[in-house]
Amino acid sequence: MIGRAVGAARAVALLAWLAWAPAASGHDAERPPGLDFDPPRPGSYTLHRIMAAPDGLVLGVDGRARRLSGFTRDRVTLLGFIYTSCVDPDGCPLASRVFDALAPTIAAAPALRGRVRLVTLSFDPARDSPAVMRRYAGSRVSDDGGVPWYFLTTRSARELMPLVEAFGQDIRYSVDKSSGKPRRELSHVLKVFLIDPAGFIREIYSSTFLHPKTVLNDIETLLLEQRGEPEMSAAGRR
Amino acid sequence: MILSRWFSKRTLAAAVAVLVGAVSAGSATADETCNSPYIAKLIKGQEDYVYVWALGVEGLGDGADKLVTVDVNPKSKSYGKVIHSVSAGSRGEAHHMGFTDDRRFIWAGGLAEAKINVFDIATDPAKPKLVNTITDLADKTGYLGPHTYYAMPGRMLIQALSNTKDKGGVTGMALYNNKGEFIASYPMPTDGGGDGYGYDLAVNAKKNVLLTSSFTGYANYMRPLGDVVKDGEAMKRFGSTMVIWDLKAMKPKQVLSVPGAPLEIRWSLNPKDNWAVTAAALTSKIWLVKPDGKGAWQAKEVATIGDPAKIPLPVDISITRDGKGLWVNTFMDGKTRYFDLTNPEAPKQTYEKVTGKQVNMISQSWDGKRVYITSSLLANWDKGGDDNEQFLRGFAWDGKELKPTFEVDFTKEKLGRAHHMKLGSKALRTAAAR
Repeated sequence: MIGRAVGAARAVALLAWLAWAPAASGHDAERPPGLDFDPPRPGSYTLHRIMAAPDGLVLGVDGRARRLSGFTRDRVTLLGFIYTSCVDPDGCPLASRVFDALAPTIAAAPALRGRVRLVTLSFDPARDSPAVMRRYAGSRVSDDGGVPWYFLTTRSARELMPLVEAFGQDIRYSVDKSSGKPRRELSHVLKVFLIDPAGFIREIYSSTFLHPKTVLNDIETLLLEQRGEPEMSAAGRR
Repeated sequence: MILSRWFSKRTLAAAVAVLVGAVSAGSATADETCNSPYIAKLIKGQEDYVYVWALGVEGLGDGADKLVTVDVNPKSKSYGKVIHSVSAGSRGEAHHMGFTDDRRFIWAGGLAEAKINVFDIATDPAKPKLVNTITDLADKTGYLGPHTYYAMPGRMLIQALSNTKDKGGVTGMALYNNKGEFIASYPMPTDGGGDGYGYDLAVNAKKNVLLTSSFTGYANYMRPLGDVVKDGEAMKRFGSTMVIWDLKAMKPKQVLSVPGAPLEIRWSLNPKDNWAVTAAALTSKIWLVKPDGKGAWQAKEVATIGDPAKIPLPVDISITRDGKGLWVNTFMDGKTRYFDLTNPEAPKQTYEKVTGKQVNMISQSWDGKRVYITSSLLANWDKGGDDNEQFLRGFAWDGKELKPTFEVDFTKEKLGRAHHMKLGSKALRTAAAR
């Protein structure tokens, strides 16, 4: 029973989470923003298939080329586009804070461990090389048995753009007033994608719904669905 | 000749008595202050274009519905002129439209059909291009007359007005992804006090609330207005509810009684506020929707628009970005009214002006200094003869007076009946790097 198992694991981990203890990773002690409502209980609602997660070539922090589908299948995947130089507080840093908050909580829940991964994909290949992504990741990439967290980039805009377009994370251009030439203005519209083990996008978070509580509930909803289990009982959650 | 063309005052009074009001309207989310909160690229400076979704008129031009681009930048040589129009290829009672969350596309549809037209406005914002037509709404949902197009992240939530089975008002919402692929449908509640009717929808994301309103079905809105009003049974088939939904779960939570066909919904954009307003067309009342001290949502009548006995027929409303003011257009008397919303519990009218012989939609720029008005309600409900003006009119608003700035005569230009508006900008041009 996913519900009971997660509920038990949460007994410790969620206490810290619900109190918004800073993430254990130490990367960003800033708290995620508060949530002004009680999200519906895991399994009490349906996350419909929005679309198939797009595929394409990406680079890991080791510089090796792989298919993105290798990072979006067989587990529940939370994938966020970022660029490392982003400073918009409602953009990439928010996504990182939420991922940082989720990672230790998922790792502490036996029912979730091994079933969830995090993926951070840059949409600024010109600046975010594999080496830059490795530095950005820091100790988030580890083999300590925690939640796998992959930091990916692409070789070029040519390889990136079909992915970005297919995910619906658009990039706009503006004109450099000094030169009159087009330059890339990276979109700050935050989108994070929840992908089921079959590779279908089941939720797209904007800054409003990107919160550890809602994301964890959604992850549990997908895992309950996968196991054909009913709505998590109140007792199971405690 | 206002109402006399359709019915006598006595007939009207009887209809009012029967239905707590009179006729009804048809409009929806319009302007820069009334977009979905998931649309990030708001135009906060000078807009360059007003896109007008116009109903085709038989014998006028190609007779088809069309998306018209009007240049509204005062610095432009073509200011106040039509610079482009793109035909939908058919006439289906064009009504409303909405941006996708990335503001690259406009989805627009008609109330006489279940077809949805998708226009690309990013490749060349001055020249929208019809790039897709979604035709499976009726097959997938049984709904008819897509009305409100509300952007969700990567998706479009569509509120329909009717159904294909009996063409009555029981309907629902449909969810599509931005590619135009159907995802799910959500029927309007018919239990717990729900009437099953739909009209507008709007999101209060911070509270996880979706609020919907209710109008009437195809069988009514496609009939001549005078016939509907004379038909006592038909007049009973108007919505009288609003519904609070759990947005995340997309489940109805609470049905609110709001008699008289509550139409447009506007949440205050002030981050400190937690309320929405609507106008009930048949009763000519402004209603406030907000939680009580215990957190339960309540709907409360807070103001009267004009003289309800004269049937001003409020059709569209537009809220200022600070939530302190509300424009209200009333179709029958052609008036544009401004209400001070400083106290949303007691809105006060502070201004009014006749802006046309018939007026319907009203949109404002983000700074509130420019106001745009169109004329058409529904093909069979618009006035006749000389009263059937069809226009887009621009106004400047200085807080005291609406001053005309330009006008486009949609009949003279052979464009049709001017209905819904959306604002556009050259700066929103998108060129993907491939």
